[in-house]
Amino acid sequence: MSPLLWGGLFGLLSGTAIALAALFGVWWERKVSGRMQMRFGPQQAGPAGLLQTLADTIKLVLKEDVTPAAADARIFRMAPLLVFAPVALSLLVVPLVTGWAPLDSGVGVLLFLAVPSVSVLGVLLGGWSSANTYGTLGGLRGAAQMVSYEIPRTLSVLALVVVAGTMRPSALMGAWRLWWLPLFAVAFVVYLISSIAELNRGPFDLPEADSELVAGYFVDYTGIRWAIFMMAEYGGMLACSLFGAAMFLGGTNGLPGLLGALVLLVKAVAIVTVIIWVKWSFPRFRQDQLMRLAWKVLTPIALVQLLVAGAVAVVWLR
Amino acid sequence: MSATLLWWGLAVLTVAGAAVVLLTREMMRMILGLGAFLLGIAGLYAWLGFGLLAVAELFVYVGGVLVLFLLAITAMGRDADARAIVRRFDLGAALISIGLAVVLVVALRGLLPAAVPVSGVTVESTADYLLGVWLPQFEIAGVVLLAGLAAALAIVQGGDDE
Repeated sequence: MSPLLWGGLFGLLSGTAIALAALFGVWWERKVSGRMQMRFGPQQAGPAGLLQTLADTIKLVLKEDVTPAAADARIFRMAPLLVFAPVALSLLVVPLVTGWAPLDSGVGVLLFLAVPSVSVLGVLLGGWSSANTYGTLGGLRGAAQMVSYEIPRTLSVLALVVVAGTMRPSALMGAWRLWWLPLFAVAFVVYLISSIAELNRGPFDLPEADSELVAGYFVDYTGIRWAIFMMAEYGGMLACSLFGAAMFLGGTNGLPGLLGALVLLVKAVAIVTVIIWVKWSFPRFRQDQLMRLAWKVLTPIALVQLLVAGAVAVVWLR
Repeated sequence: MSATLLWWGLAVLTVAGAAVVLLTREMMRMILGLGAFLLGIAGLYAWLGFGLLAVAELFVYVGGVLVLFLLAITAMGRDADARAIVRRFDLGAALISIGLAVVLVVALRGLLPAAVPVSGVTVESTADYLLGVWLPQFEIAGVVLLAGLAAALAIVQGGDDE
């Protein structure tokens, strides 16, 4: 198949996967947070309230697409897509089946870590273009946060790369051994915390802090464009959970075909549940606390983990 | 056929991005043009088979340098951005640039290899290229960038202190 056709097909599949992830993710978050607060969550629309998010989506699509008069209209309309597209791209390199990923590149791991940096542009532009102080502040906060947390996140995954000796995602998943669990437990925690911060989710949701900035960088977005931001958030949550499950938790555990994919999906949903649990349990960080955590806690810890991984690779494995 | 189309698409994106940087009068659109240019370059690296360079371009230039530019412009606020318009487009400078580009293309055409994807490029071989065969060029590029940085600092400080 020609590269253009293949790219178009994957774009379509990836977009659909993210839309489904958002549909399921929002419903799951409402259910989990409901249970945490001694409520049932959605239960009226469809069995167990499964159709509630679908009903919400129809409402969002039908809503008026408002562009503020003072906004830079073109950039304002483009920003949600700049946040969404990198999420779709990051799914490309996740090994979904044993020995296979849609784009099983020799630099796939690095690509997965690099693409969220493009989302930063969308966050900044979305906030700036709306000509709103809350939006601009949210965009600035988001950019500072996402750039800072990229470093411990990358370092935590780098520890795996050092031991496995490859940046090909399927090969890295294949190289996984049970003893990696205790060895990389710290790296996994660093990866998880950094990923939550990169996703701008609670307790690191300062860029959209509802009590301070109303909704931050997407304060002026309505209808489908607001939904695109939401889809990017839930798609990102799926991508980082799938990647985390594949790299740190053994992924498919070598099981073939759909069975392996199912094992991977169960692990990813478990990680998604932890992310939701964290959001609904902890109060929001302050900006200085957030930055201190990235630079003075997580980055040094990730560096120590990298040293340990390097020592294991040099002394034990080679 | 579609690979050629992809090449042309990326080439047009790169040149168009560069043109926007030169021609537009608004800072934010300049940054967007620069973003398109950098993404185009990353795409061309990937097309040629140098995946590591493509990802590094994305990571360092789009995710790092461009975001820093954007952060600075956003922090200035929209009113400041409206005032921060570059001087008017200079037709003479444009003609000289186009003339120089034509001379370079004509002169170097025979020396440059054809743009075809290179097969079998790995992370290891890219590292070997950068730290082996191409090390002098790599280091010279670093020195040029450093000189550019020093020059920019000198310009910002406004020359000799009185």
